[in-house]
Amino acid sequence: MKSGERIILFLLSLFWVFIISIDSVSAADTALSEEAQKCLGCHAQLGIVKKFENNESVTAYVDAEKFKASVHNSLTCSDCHDEFSSDKHPARKFRSKKQYKIRSSLVCKHCHTDQQISAKPIHASLLGEESENKSHVCTDCHGSHSIMPVAGGKIFASEKQYCLSCHGHKLNMVFKDGETLALKVDALLIDASVHNKLTCSDCHYGFSSEEHPQRNFRTKRDYAIASAESCRRCHFDKYTKTMESIHYTMLSQGNLKAPVCTDCHGSHSIPPGGKEKNFVVKKCQRCHPEIYEIYAKSIHGKALISEHIQDVPICIDCHTAHNITDPRTSDYRERVPDICGNCHANKEIMEKYGLSTDVVKTYLSDFHGVTLGFYKKQKETLYKPARQIAVCTDCHGTHNISSVIGSDAAIIKANLAKRCQKCHEGATENFQDAWLSHYKPSLTRAPMVFIVSLIYRVFIPFAMIGLILQILLHIWRYAVTR
Amino acid sequence: MKGDNIIKEDKIRRFSTTRIIEHWMTIITLGILGVTGLSQKFYSLALSQWFIFQLGGIDNVRLIHRYTGIALSIVIAVHIIAGIIGVVFKKWQTSMIINKKDFLDAIHNIKYYIGIESHPARCDRYDYKQKFEYWGVLISGLLMVVTGMALWFPTLVTRFLPGEVIPTAKILHTNQAFLVFLIVALWHIYNSILSPEVFPLDTVIFTGKISKERMIHEHPLEYERLFNISLEGSEGEGIPKDKVAT
Repeated sequence: MKSGERIILFLLSLFWVFIISIDSVSAADTALSEEAQKCLGCHAQLGIVKKFENNESVTAYVDAEKFKASVHNSLTCSDCHDEFSSDKHPARKFRSKKQYKIRSSLVCKHCHTDQQISAKPIHASLLGEESENKSHVCTDCHGSHSIMPVAGGKIFASEKQYCLSCHGHKLNMVFKDGETLALKVDALLIDASVHNKLTCSDCHYGFSSEEHPQRNFRTKRDYAIASAESCRRCHFDKYTKTMESIHYTMLSQGNLKAPVCTDCHGSHSIPPGGKEKNFVVKKCQRCHPEIYEIYAKSIHGKALISEHIQDVPICIDCHTAHNITDPRTSDYRERVPDICGNCHANKEIMEKYGLSTDVVKTYLSDFHGVTLGFYKKQKETLYKPARQIAVCTDCHGTHNISSVIGSDAAIIKANLAKRCQKCHEGATENFQDAWLSHYKPSLTRAPMVFIVSLIYRVFIPFAMIGLILQILLHIWRYAVTR
Repeated sequence: MKGDNIIKEDKIRRFSTTRIIEHWMTIITLGILGVTGLSQKFYSLALSQWFIFQLGGIDNVRLIHRYTGIALSIVIAVHIIAGIIGVVFKKWQTSMIINKKDFLDAIHNIKYYIGIESHPARCDRYDYKQKFEYWGVLISGLLMVVTGMALWFPTLVTRFLPGEVIPTAKILHTNQAFLVFLIVALWHIYNSILSPEVFPLDTVIFTGKISKERMIHEHPLEYERLFNISLEGSEGEGIPKDKVAT
């Protein structure tokens, strides 16, 4: 049982270390001054409060243990509460808790001079505001009786509270190029944002109640781009997606106007459920206003903007949100029928608006669709096709898609002939009718195609049954005759 | 005697070398057109896709299909021109022409299969099955050439005809081709390979020669004409050998 003995020995020694350390703490425990002991005679009782004129109140209870552990434990009560002593206890009147606090904070400056505290940039900017008649309360940040040494001053309920104690005020950051950025953070906005459960340093890493590194950025934009890197710590999937995007490519090529996370999503005020489509298109509009104008006039845009229909595609439905690729590439072209098909092949959505889902099927089963299908599959294993195949957008347009029903139909038809000629040299007016405009052949639409195909549908099985019967009869007869 | 040239031992000469070559050309071109065409018609099948990939992609398959189509067109054109010249100038027999007797023979044979008639129809150089198949394939072939050209050059065709002609041509082309394929796969393969009468293979179109027994059995009228004798009365199975002219 050697190992057992060892464990007991170890535990015993730990116990002794523990006892000794407690002993040393109590040894260092300063005895309270006589005056303090007198004060505590009342103030150690829970439940005594000081009331103000506006009915606010503040507890007058003092936790002796906490005071003993504080950095001011060598002081006595009247050192700070200068109007009070063991035999003086004047009744004072204050309008509000705030007024009381401001008044109390003035005491701090007896020892901590303005010059002394302004060595810290945070204090300097706060003191700057005091000249504008704004008062700051030392105890809001540092506490009162439980005041801790600066290095270990974890006296805030939360880190957010700590940071906001400065950043809730008007602060500015000046960049090398002279631009300034307001560092004031609206606590209400944070509480309303999706990130209200996070603390400041979750995003602003490197910063905490102990650390506030000085960082130097050339411009405001440099700072914004660098700050957006924070998002990837949690949203890594989205971040990797953006690395495939044209925006990221532009950014890495030196175009600092290319958007980063915060340009679209905001920073402290990221709203929950910001998926309302009218709201999303506006984000893209900021940099792509011309395209937004065209889109707004399209059948999709009109339905969104004037009727608030949420089924219509917005920018990100076709271009995606994070991995936005260059839409001018042939890879993107090839995906167009799938992109349009996401909605136009979806019966549930199309039925709402009286639209047919045949449009995708008819395209895919026709010459263009079949060829495109093969090109897509072939390019991996065989070769990259040199020819471009007509896709939805070639006839219908992209951002300017108009309705094929009603007055726009004639314009589309007229444009179609021109569009055909782009690939089919010498195509005449008749040529475009070779494409049945997404209609399935019927007696009214393409009757010739309908009738011929009907004849075959009847005749082929009929002929086959006849031939098989003949063969079976022949075999049977042969067997019988033998 | 006419028969002396034709008969060599027990075999009778039935097809000339030109016809044998023609048949080979048809097998090859129709074979290529069939696999390249059907894999396009049924493009979504895994087998079709595998095949198209083996040939190096859809563009290659279309190219092969079109140029083989030209080859078949030439075979058909030569066949028709030679046929016309033969009939007009060389006094070839018009034995392929369908007449009333062919329809009667067809009905007769069905009756025979069911058991109403005691013996099969007595046919001449080509029986009704062969005639129907011949015309079926020839007319389909012409239809393929015409519609195939329309699909190859749609811009040219729509200069003269309405646009709807192109999808119609596609329906005609693919369905007629599929029909021909099914007839060949079922009917022709049965009659010339699987039928118990010829199994394992009807070699006549490859060797050009037919045996006397089969000639008497399948083409009695031609046999009678060639040898100037009547087989009537000894019709049916088991013709006595000594009665057959040599």
